[in-house]
Amino acid sequence: MEKVKLCCAKCGFTIEEYTADELATVPRKAKRYKYLLNKSSICPSCLASGRLKESRSTGEAVAAPAPQVGAKSSTTAPVAHEEHAAAATPMMDALAKGPWPSHTAELKKTRYPVQMYEEALQKRTTQWGYGGYVSLPGVATGVLVRASARPEITKGSNFVRIMDPCGNFFKADAMRGLCDIADKYAYGLLHLLSTGGDLEMLGIPTENLKPAVEEITKLGFDVGSTGDDYRTSEECIGPAKCDLTLYDTLGFRYAWYQRFLDDVQYPRFPHKIKCKFAGCPNDCVRGGQKADIFVCGVFRDLPKIDQAKVASWVKGGGDITLICTRCPGGSLQWDAKKGLSIDGDSCMRCMYCINKISGMRPGDDRGVAILVGGKMRGKYGPMLAKVLVPFIKAVPPDYKEVFDFIERLTEVYDEHARKKERLGDFLLRIGINEFFQLVGVEPSPLLFAQPRTNLFYHWEPSEIRDERQK
Amino acid sequence: MPGIGVPTLEASLPPIVKRNYGKWITHEHVRPGVIKHDSETGEACYTVRVGMPPNARVSTGTVRMFCDLSDEFSEGYFRITQRNSIEFVGVPPARIDELIAVLAKAGYPVGGTNRSLHNTTCCTGYLHCHLAASDPAAIMKSLSDMLIEDYKTERFPAKLKISGSGCINNCGEGSCADIGIVAIHRDLPPIHEEKLKGCELPLVISVCPTGAIKPKGPNMIEIDPKRCIHCPACSVACAAMAPIGSANGDGVAIVVGGKAANTGDGPAMAKVVVPYLPNNPPRWPEVTDVVKKIIDAWVAGARKDERVGEWINRIGWPKFYQRTGLPLSFKVMDGYDARALELAKTGVRFQW
Ligand code: HEM
Ligand code: SF4
Ligand code: SF4
Ligand code: SF4
Ligand code: SF4
Repeated sequence: MEKVKLCCAKCGFTIEEYTADELATVPRKAKRYKYLLNKSSICPSCLASGRLKESRSTGEAVAAPAPQVGAKSSTTAPVAHEEHAAAATPMMDALAKGPWPSHTAELKKTRYPVQMYEEALQKRTTQWGYGGYVSLPGVATGVLVRASARPEITKGSNFVRIMDPCGNFFKADAMRGLCDIADKYAYGLLHLLSTGGDLEMLGIPTENLKPAVEEITKLGFDVGSTGDDYRTSEECIGPAKCDLTLYDTLGFRYAWYQRFLDDVQYPRFPHKIKCKFAGCPNDCVRGGQKADIFVCGVFRDLPKIDQAKVASWVKGGGDITLICTRCPGGSLQWDAKKGLSIDGDSCMRCMYCINKISGMRPGDDRGVAILVGGKMRGKYGPMLAKVLVPFIKAVPPDYKEVFDFIERLTEVYDEHARKKERLGDFLLRIGINEFFQLVGVEPSPLLFAQPRTNLFYHWEPSEIRDERQK
Repeated sequence: MPGIGVPTLEASLPPIVKRNYGKWITHEHVRPGVIKHDSETGEACYTVRVGMPPNARVSTGTVRMFCDLSDEFSEGYFRITQRNSIEFVGVPPARIDELIAVLAKAGYPVGGTNRSLHNTTCCTGYLHCHLAASDPAAIMKSLSDMLIEDYKTERFPAKLKISGSGCINNCGEGSCADIGIVAIHRDLPPIHEEKLKGCELPLVISVCPTGAIKPKGPNMIEIDPKRCIHCPACSVACAAMAPIGSANGDGVAIVVGGKAANTGDGPAMAKVVVPYLPNNPPRWPEVTDVVKKIIDAWVAGARKDERVGEWINRIGWPKFYQRTGLPLSFKVMDGYDARALELAKTGVRFQW
């Protein structure tokens, strides 16, 4: 059977391996293969970066690959870490003082090469070198390498991203398992959690990567979330511990993984895609700021008022005047006799009164809104997400309608965006109208803040016809 | 091997959550750091929230301590929040004081709920990243030391979130926060000719937001120094154009008024109020000083439930600069923005 390998052009390390059959029949593998072939990759073995080399071979010759990282089994003894000579760390010591828990005190309890940090602080410049995402055979995503600009201190460092469980609850025993792996193979240092929501295990020598990943998956955790794929999605705590949630954010995220795991683990999009799921407009996952695709619980009817409860809240000292004044719609009115009323025309379902007044609940006509293009950086800087779908029902267990829509959206992105163009930048380039039409949404006044003031507009000749009413 | 996805809810949720999943009806801030949730089953759930070292980078020894505490106090589970606090969920009310005392002894503060300073978040900066223009972890440590009492009490008008990013890639989400520290580069990226052949030149040219990079011969490029905004997309895309930065070139910008919630004035990205402060390790006094001025003016002037951005929206930018005493520069107005003129003022509705 013909095998196709993608290898480091410099040292020959195999980054990924397919059978020719797979490439012909499994679309995600074919896409992934094309993606890898067309990009510059960094080699986890020799740290050179550049285009990968393809090598094809048939029959027995490749049946037993030369022993390398990928061939080691989890029973292999871990490779020892570099020894770091002890040296003075005045900057880190200064940061170990003070009442707040100190990160430098934590670092010193681990095998992290503290001189990298100490000297960065002293020299006021980072001591790390170029880095990037790598894949190992069978591990397409989740591993990062970081070269060092100070090889005499450390040669470099790798880390893996472990996808957090829904709700971010960790069972003590499972977490101890991760600690054991981190002690055995890595620095003994965990990142709880990254701002994207992953748990990171830091400082894994290249030879230990494969066994470490194997042991992590044996504990029931999976790795992923690097490169041009769906990054770990984040959901708010929702029904697990919040009384305001408008849909089952945890169940939704779990179902999202069931449906899209391949897109999480086989990078091939134009750029990374971050999805965040908030249970209500309070947006505790800041999806409206950070997510390329943001799914937010919304309700269409008015907040529900339990007049008796509200009255007793007011009697107990609740500051109803404050809430009425700060209601952004100016929609709330309190009358000691008639109780609380809401002006349905101006209420924007912002959640404020519901958050603050005991006796108010979100309405019953519940669904989700889908917003797109939020980002912290991209090509043109920070951007808030824009409304694409104001309301769609989120129906468990498979949330088919929402996920079908998301898939259509990413297909448009995949097909039309440029390489390394975040969804928000793509939107900015092609214009939101064009994007709405490519994805296929109907115009709605809920989709814009206000109509344009500029009268300039491009019409296509094909749009010109006799439109006089007959 | 990878391919298993995330654990099922059945496997990952603690018993008290499973019993009351989707059945919560109210919550109450019992005291700073302690939240009580009531369920329609009649059960009440007490959560204790704990602050973490900056960047939430902890030794396995410390993680094991959290594991042991959760065995002892919260049915063998703990939770990590969006802002990297640790939460013990389902602590028996009679044992909350005991848990807080144990944590205090280990040096871990309880707080960060409601109208207080919430746990800071930041990226790795000097700890692990070649792009870092500053070290947000050290800055967050200095700020958290300064503000620890505001973490443990609720003297603020509304919640306060502080986040820090080591460069404008903004992995540490500075632009999301009420007060954000976002490090910036000011140097031109280098061009290491010998490494250029490993780079995708067309990609490098296309990622530059200002079109500052131009081809110069078949395998060489040049940078128009006037157009460069030090972003540094090219250093990210190409090893030959990294690292960017220098001790005196790098520093931090301060941004304010970011917010995600739809309450009040709705979601907003933070705005640049101080374009540059120097890197001054280990404690960055220039930065902590500016942050303190902003917080003091906000606490003195904001109404209840007004986040930093909403307070500024009400009083206007002239009063913001007056009350904080921050120096003003045209660099907060212009910069790289296709719609830069939108930042200039129209109308004469001045808030003198
Ligand atoms: C050495 C380099 C880098 C390190 C160590 C690093 C580390 C991180 C980490 C730990 C996160 C948390 C989120 C996650 O797990 O997905 C993150 C998020 C992020 N990364 Fe990076 N990163 C690096 C380079 C970059 C580059 C080159 C870009 C942009 C081109 C970038 C853009 C972002 C952004 C915008 C976020 C914000 C989180 C969000 O939008 O959800 N990072 N980074
Ligand atoms: S976003 Fe809404 S539902 Fe989710 S945790 Fe926050 S308040 Fe609760
Ligand atoms: S939901 Fe918001 S806008 Fe509507 S009444 Fe309540 S506070 Fe006012
Ligand atoms: S914000 Fe910059 S310094 Fe911080 S991790 Fe991201 S790329 Fe590195
Ligand atoms: S740093 Fe940014 S603006 Fe400057 S040349 Fe590189 S990509 Fe262009």
